[in-house]
Amino acid sequence: MSPRPLVGPRLQRVLALVPYVLTHPHVTVSELAARFEVSERELERELELLPMCGLPPYTADRLIDVAVVDGEVTIRLAEYFERPLRLTPAEGLALLAAGRALLAVPGSDPDGPLAHALDKLEGALGARGRLAVDVGGGGDHLERLTAAAADHERVEIDYYSFARDEMTTRRVDPWRVFHAFGAWYLAAWCHAVDDERLFRVDRVRAVRPTGERFDPPLHDGELPELVYSARPEDPRVTVVLGPAAAWVVESVPHEAAEQLPDGGWRVVLAVSEPAWLERLLLALGDDAVVEAPPDLRDLAAGAAARLRSRYGAG
Amino acid sequence: MPDRLERLVNLTATLLDTRRPITLDEITSRIEPGYPDDKIARRRQFERDKETLRELGIPISVETADGFGSEQAYRIHARDYYLPDLGLSDAELAALHVAITAVRLEGDDARDALRKLGGVTGEGAEAAVTELPVTPALTQLFEAVSAHRPVEFRYRGERRSLHPYGVVLRWGHWYVVGHDLVRDAPRAFRVDRIEGDPELGPPASFTPPPGTDPRDFVRDDPLAYGEDQPLDARVLVDAPRAPWVVEQLGAESVVDRRADGSVVVTMPVVNRAAFRTWVLTLLDHAEVLAPPELRADMVEWLDTLAAAQSHA
Repeated sequence: MSPRPLVGPRLQRVLALVPYVLTHPHVTVSELAARFEVSERELERELELLPMCGLPPYTADRLIDVAVVDGEVTIRLAEYFERPLRLTPAEGLALLAAGRALLAVPGSDPDGPLAHALDKLEGALGARGRLAVDVGGGGDHLERLTAAAADHERVEIDYYSFARDEMTTRRVDPWRVFHAFGAWYLAAWCHAVDDERLFRVDRVRAVRPTGERFDPPLHDGELPELVYSARPEDPRVTVVLGPAAAWVVESVPHEAAEQLPDGGWRVVLAVSEPAWLERLLLALGDDAVVEAPPDLRDLAAGAAARLRSRYGAG
Repeated sequence: MPDRLERLVNLTATLLDTRRPITLDEITSRIEPGYPDDKIARRRQFERDKETLRELGIPISVETADGFGSEQAYRIHARDYYLPDLGLSDAELAALHVAITAVRLEGDDARDALRKLGGVTGEGAEAAVTELPVTPALTQLFEAVSAHRPVEFRYRGERRSLHPYGVVLRWGHWYVVGHDLVRDAPRAFRVDRIEGDPELGPPASFTPPPGTDPRDFVRDDPLAYGEDQPLDARVLVDAPRAPWVVEQLGAESVVDRRADGSVVVTMPVVNRAAFRTWVLTLLDHAEVLAPPELRADMVEWLDTLAAAQSHA
């Protein structure tokens, strides 16, 4: 048996449902159940409750009148519920943020129903132009890849692997295009490695058709997990960070972190690609020292010497 | 529990319908299903009911009863309760439904909002496109923005005081932007770095200057954000990274395209540290050509690092 619903959500539903029926007499039970996302059984339970509600002294002329005739619902004597309850700040924010985010996705219609709905919503919330969502940064190929995913079109891409600092060409089956943590990603089956891979869309340099289609995998509509997971074989590197480099603990996935008395940190990073660690250490300079393993202690010095050679005698 | 739900509906109806505030005695003697007879139990039950209504956002106003001096009385003002008619068409409702299914947020607030606006209609999105982090602090800040309430909060160990003009999501982070009253200057703060709960001042305390766009307060690019003496840098980028850099900086930044596919780009530098970090991300594929002081900066940085060999 499913747990009993809490009183709060049921009250919330009643207070939204009654105004809808008052302004839409003869709405059908099935439509009402669909709109308010309840089973017809649950809906009937709420409709049975209402005739017992009303105003003191709860005489017939003061009780809510509910009529269900031929599957059509009509409510009378509930004028005090003629409008729904105002949106809470959390509700207004959630709806507006979701709408603004979708409208900001390249390819959305800036003058379509969503834009008009948001305009009305912002007006009612007193928040016209006060909330902005930026989901840019998709580069030149976002719309092309989104279309390829929608059409189940196999494509060939030129891709810059930032971690390895190298350019590659591969055939992929684009499954999903999505935005997370300020960047666009492509989840795809990569034929080069015969495995599922995530690609940063802004690092895709070219998209070419292959003329082939693929069968999309079943998915539940949820976003792919983006949580970084280290592979067991990745080397673990212990880095001591100065206080000025404390931001690394916030922004870089790590396996362990220990704060030091001077405000710095000792972190353990799983490093799959040396180029990634080189960049981090080059940018941090004096604020980072590799403690272990011993053979990586001079990684930054070696990389600095290599880059320095481009500059001749200085 | 069915009794309690019935009573909560009746309590809401009565407080909405009354034209004057009514006392606890009046409420408990009239409303059915009834409250306990015991005075203390009755008060406790009423407080619980009031709390449940408030949790749903039902605005119960506590006032003084007519002619009773200090006795508390209660009502719900129509202007606080009723959602104005937004006049949404079914197509617009369906578009909002697509939005809340394509954009995932924690909790049910977006769905609850949609039910109040006329329910869920249309198909919804097939799959999520993104998810947004929405926190209680962000909700409070958004309320402050909508109601023109000043806010105070702790940020990086300092007390900040702000007239908030908007909230902006950029690079995956929410910012609250506005006029910083201590610095007397426009500022943007990352919401997830605000320490503790923001404190809100009274509504209608300020008017945002007309034409302000919250987006203008959040700088796009750390390279464009700094106080260093402005310089124009020229950077040579090797062929393999050239397209990436040109896309990032725009074609107008290219001052020379060489036969080997490499490019020379120019960019304004107001933050030398951010510039250096940017050049270093290109590893072996970039070289600072000019001006001499930025080239010397880079050489010095690399020399210091190269000299820091361990002595193991």
